[in-house]
Amino acid sequence: MENKNIDKSLFNLMTQELKENPHRKFHTAFALMSIIPFLVFLYLLVGRLFTIDILSGNIGFIVAIAAFISVCGFCIGYSIINRILNKVIFYAAKAKHSDQLKSTFVANVSHELKNPLSVIEVNVYNLIKGLAGKVTENQKRVLDLCRGVVNRMVNLINSLLDLHKIEAGMLDGKRELCNFSQILDEQVKEFNALFNKKHIKLKREVSSTDLALWGDREKIGRIINNLLGNAAKYTPDGGAVNLRVRPDKNLLRIECANNGPSIPPEKIAKIFDKFERASLEEGAGLGLAITKDIVEFHKGKIWVEDWAGKGSKFIVLLPRDLRRSQR
Amino acid sequence: MSQDENKKILIIEDEKELAFSLAELLRSKGYKTFVAHDGLYGTSQARNEKVDLVLLDIGLPAGGGLFVLENLKRSVLTSHIPILVLTAQHGENLKSNVFKLGAQAFFSKPFNPDELLESIKKFIN
Repeated sequence: MENKNIDKSLFNLMTQELKENPHRKFHTAFALMSIIPFLVFLYLLVGRLFTIDILSGNIGFIVAIAAFISVCGFCIGYSIINRILNKVIFYAAKAKHSDQLKSTFVANVSHELKNPLSVIEVNVYNLIKGLAGKVTENQKRVLDLCRGVVNRMVNLINSLLDLHKIEAGMLDGKRELCNFSQILDEQVKEFNALFNKKHIKLKREVSSTDLALWGDREKIGRIINNLLGNAAKYTPDGGAVNLRVRPDKNLLRIECANNGPSIPPEKIAKIFDKFERASLEEGAGLGLAITKDIVEFHKGKIWVEDWAGKGSKFIVLLPRDLRRSQR
Repeated sequence: MSQDENKKILIIEDEKELAFSLAELLRSKGYKTFVAHDGLYGTSQARNEKVDLVLLDIGLPAGGGLFVLENLKRSVLTSHIPILVLTAQHGENLKSNVFKLGAQAFFSKPFNPDELLESIKKFIN
């Protein structure tokens, strides 16, 4: 009984999703199919190829049996197809339902994780600022470490949320005209402190001022953020990062090179896979996988090359007018 | 004496530990703080205490944060109060909704306290 109720609610969910009743569609299709033998029969009747006299003749019995078998076949066929249709609807609805449950679960878990992390962040900040008494340099260093770990956890939660959205096919984005120069400025500004801390020299080469492109501003920012974050992570102290943007009429080519360790050839093919890392640096190995998904969402391409034997170079190609490009 | 001293800030946040820590941080900067743990009490506090700024959580009991934001921005008594939204909810539409309803700033939890303090300073004056 309970199962039947679940089936019914799932069926309702699916019909809502399809915005039409699949059974009605099926009946219409079946009725249309049934018209064909009826028309053939009518044609035979009109052409006097089939008359009622036939039924009283020698082959009358055979014709009657054939008609009976046809009607039975029709009914059995209807019943089988109807049952298959019900099963398909049920499993599709069940899959949809479980996807929705999973999304709700992931959203709730991340919400529940972020709140206690906020409490830790604010309290550690309060401690560093001496709100609970004077803090020595050593204690401050430990507290800074805690803040770093909180940030890492937040990045991980956000990455998992993004990944879930991508896998569930729920990645959505705006199609707005973006000023890429501005996005670049914001992202570079965010990494300046980290680059300075590691004495990394960031060289920016932008060959044009016209860097407008269509896409989701926030997500395009995420691409640059992930590339710079990756470069900051793998570039050694005192190293160099080259960020080059070369636009043409249809495409924007973004290159981010760093003189960190080169990626071994056997890892290059897998570097954009989930949980894959080029070395044992910290991180969950989700950044590049998410970057690739976002680039592909914008109908672009991303790959990595060796940077003249001194590091790696990530190259992103983004169509400037997402509205016109074809996948 | 700082010009922000004695400015009143209302924290509407159901996570009690976070509300307490935030209040402590803000008091150390010379602000007067009020705390509400649900939307209904938060709305009445904003009206009664004539606060200068509101820090508002979105996932709240007794009236969600968006409802509180809408109410505060609609009322003549409170529409002028700057509202900074702090939320752990993840969603690209949420941010644009919050700004459409009239919030001044949006912070994803866990936020950077320095950035929050800077934003408070900017909007409270």
